[in-house]
Amino acid sequence: MATANTVNGRIERARTELSPTQMAAGALFIAALGFTLLFVQDPLVHDSLHNFRHAAGIACH
Amino acid sequence: MFAQYLTRGVKAGLVAGLVFGLFMAVVANPLVAYADELNHATVEESGHSHEAESAHSHESEGTHSHESEGTHSHGSGDSHAGEGGGHHDTAVSMAVTKAVSVAAGGLWGVVLGGAFFGVAFFFLEPAIPGPDAAKSYLMGLAGFITVSGAPWLVLPPAAPGAEQSLSVATRLPLYAGMMLAGALACLSAGYAYTRLRESSGLPAAIVGAVVPFSLLAALAVVAPENAVHGALSPTLETGLTGLFAFGQVLLWLVLAAAHAWFRLSSESESESAIPTAGRDSAPAAD
Ligand SMILES: [Zn+2]
Repeated sequence: MATANTVNGRIERARTELSPTQMAAGALFIAALGFTLLFVQDPLVHDSLHNFRHAAGIACH
Repeated sequence: MFAQYLTRGVKAGLVAGLVFGLFMAVVANPLVAYADELNHATVEESGHSHEAESAHSHESEGTHSHESEGTHSHGSGDSHAGEGGGHHDTAVSMAVTKAVSVAAGGLWGVVLGGAFFGVAFFFLEPAIPGPDAAKSYLMGLAGFITVSGAPWLVLPPAAPGAEQSLSVATRLPLYAGMMLAGALACLSAGYAYTRLRESSGLPAAIVGAVVPFSLLAALAVVAPENAVHGALSPTLETGLTGLFAFGQVLLWLVLAAAHAWFRLSSESESESAIPTAGRDSAPAAD
């Protein structure tokens, strides 16, 4: 609990608190999220998200 | 501690996702369907619907993967032109679209909650000025500016059926670039504020925080212009755009409020050392 309350302190903290496995899992999760975003370009998924895209203000058509 | 922060962020995301999913179901879905119907009617009236749709599809959907892949069940070449021309009976039915959009609204809240109020807040909290509750709202404001506010300066939410002069291939990187610019503006505003507050006092700190946002606005002016030409009446389009914008503001407000509230409740719990319901307190991580 002695880590200074700064942004660098938080990065240090994350480094000590998270195991390499957890960090790898996090990186994998982000990669999966990116892949999902690509998959969302698929016509079926893309069209069924139509109303949501409008509501979120990111309509791409 | 990281696990606690992530849990609190995701919990706030669940609350916001619930509210935004409800907004999708009750407000956005019926309105988009209604606007699509109006567009459809306009095209029918104009009598040359097929030509109009082809033209639309070329302008507004030309670079879209839908067109090139040709996997649409309609297969008549103008299947997705509903976006530009009116009717929206595309690859999936409106009922499916509505259901998936509501679910996506819920997930949207969880993703934003986890990413901004879970991960980003854990790292940035020491640098965010103000008392604890205010930090949640500042994080919400920064999140809104990053995800929606900054990109909307160039590409505001479009009403259904509107044609846009920039192609999708241009707009997507533009949107992403403005998100990045928005995030940088928020980070540097926070940094300048904290630094100047210590060295030169509050007025200088406020000026320092305003400068990055002025640069962001200037960037939006320089960015390529996207002319939007809608088939609906201007009043209805403005109303729809305003409503979609309101939906995102609401989402971030709920996220921030829930996040601030969960902080209070988690603090009082840890002080009195009473375990919570059990499933979400992640005791093993501490
Ligand atoms: Zn649309």
